[in-house]
Amino acid sequence: MSTQQSIKIENLVKEFGKGDSLLRVIDGASFTVNKGELIALIAPSGAGKTTLLMMIGCVIDPTSGTIWLGEEKVYEDKWITHNSRKIRREKIGFIFQAHYLIPFLNVIENVTLVPQTNGVSEKQAKADAMKLLEYLDIADKAHSKPSALSGGQNQRVAIARALANNPQIILADEPTAALDSARALSVVQMLKKIATEQNVAIIMVTHDERMVQRCDKIMKIENKKIIFEAVEIPS
Amino acid sequence: MIHLAQKDISHTFGKFIVTAMGVGMLLGIVLIMIGVYRGLIVDATNLLDDVNADIWVVQENTLGPFAESSRIHEDLKNTLKAIEGIDKAEAITFQNIQLYTNSKPIRVEAVGFDPFGDIDPINPLHLIKGRTLNRAHYEVVVSAETGLNLHDHIDIGRDSYTIVGITQKTVSSGGDPLIYMSLKDAQQLQFSYSNATIRNDRDRGAVSNPDLHIVNAIIGTIKTGYNNNIISDNIARWKHLSVYTNNEQKEILTKNVVEKSSKQIGLFTIILVIVSTIIIGLIIYTMTLEKIKEISIMKLIGIPDGVIIKMIVQETVLLGFFAFIFGNIFSHLTYDKFPKRVILEAPDALTLFGVILIASVIASFVGVAKVVHADPTVAIGG
Repeated sequence: MSTQQSIKIENLVKEFGKGDSLLRVIDGASFTVNKGELIALIAPSGAGKTTLLMMIGCVIDPTSGTIWLGEEKVYEDKWITHNSRKIRREKIGFIFQAHYLIPFLNVIENVTLVPQTNGVSEKQAKADAMKLLEYLDIADKAHSKPSALSGGQNQRVAIARALANNPQIILADEPTAALDSARALSVVQMLKKIATEQNVAIIMVTHDERMVQRCDKIMKIENKKIIFEAVEIPS
Repeated sequence: MIHLAQKDISHTFGKFIVTAMGVGMLLGIVLIMIGVYRGLIVDATNLLDDVNADIWVVQENTLGPFAESSRIHEDLKNTLKAIEGIDKAEAITFQNIQLYTNSKPIRVEAVGFDPFGDIDPINPLHLIKGRTLNRAHYEVVVSAETGLNLHDHIDIGRDSYTIVGITQKTVSSGGDPLIYMSLKDAQQLQFSYSNATIRNDRDRGAVSNPDLHIVNAIIGTIKTGYNNNIISDNIARWKHLSVYTNNEQKEILTKNVVEKSSKQIGLFTIILVIVSTIIIGLIIYTMTLEKIKEISIMKLIGIPDGVIIKMIVQETVLLGFFAFIFGNIFSHLTYDKFPKRVILEAPDALTLFGVILIASVIASFVGVAKVVHADPTVAIGG
């Protein structure tokens, strides 16, 4: 695998059910995502976008195929790693449509939870988290609970949490769907900046054409296959 | 590392405390039940300890006045006094009666003894007001639990009595307050017939000639250097009486008389502890279900099960700990409101604390099982 490649997928298949009710959602997907790339994943509802993200994120089991994350082959017809949660904790950041922050932790605790679990000292984790919160312009809310923040602020905290473990990959499942246009654009610009500056591969599921235009490539799921397209910037 | 249990509890602190108070009241009842048992044992042996006799001489083939009806002649005390090794011997009676004061009935146990005799069953340590009996008639010393006051006059049987002393924490093995009266008054009360009965008996041609010199037991003390058991065996063999040492009477009381009550209370306590464990388990299960989305998110972002399980177990143990604290407060606020003696002892509370800690850990298993099986995709609605 090339050192520039962050995600490499080969002949990935995902089936649900058995016998007559067997449903193949992803049929032999093969693609690579390079470091620093922001990829827009678009497909109709039910086409398997979230399923694909969750397989890359080691959350659900593929039926067959191969998954490389960075230098490490994590799946080849079965999980090679015994601790998929450790891979998620160390290599992947997740952002969702809703922020899904832990309500009983404040902002900085939400952001430092994963690094501290990875063995980073509380002091170091907090210092790193404050830098991230400043980077995302939300440092003044470090000690607030998620319930005291607006939707946009919570989504920025969720991005900070996704970045806190210095991930190689960020998987974002419709991160702008719950935001107004201005805030959605701001989040995508932020993701683009993160991808470029921190050399992180980002796959972002979106339905919004305006957001797609900020991405480097478009990945479509059509007829259960993966198709890459160049981004067309409207004149 | 972030203390997740502490953060979660402080997030819903009011709810947690109210839940702990609820479980605490249940544990308080457990502590009170143990206290009732302790009280039962102390009450059962209270009179025995106050009398402090070495031997109890009772009717042949009976277990004595605390377990069975016993009737023997009062003058046997003189026979006993003549036996070598016997230091003191006195007659004693016991009778359950009902007093009526201010129209409120009080069930008491009357202890009759010779106020001029050698053995006074009134423990000076328990006499909190007034004096012991020093007249042959119409004086009583009553337990404070009767609610009667010094110098009050009460009617017992056909006579009126003056209260000359108040004792505290003096109750019978059944928990009834004690009243002390002279042996002659007690015999009159227990064995004499009413005037109407005597008239009726005369009309029927029957002769009413009650023997008033009957008592329920003779109590004795043994001189130093003599063996209680040997003297007891001699009396039983030659005088056709049953004789029990103080320890044997205590055993009869605790085994024969209060054993069933103790077992009943013990079983009830065990059931309450099991119910408390189940309730803690259900509360933890519900608390875990309420957090299932957060737990799924934590699993999704890679937090190991161990960290989440630690949070659940710590919350359960903290719930048990706070419940124990509230249980202690509840039991100490209410124990003296119970009609019978309740004795709260620190070792019992510590044992219950240990049991509750173990029960809490067991109860947390239901929450832990939920954590282990929680699907991370639930977080994203997958």
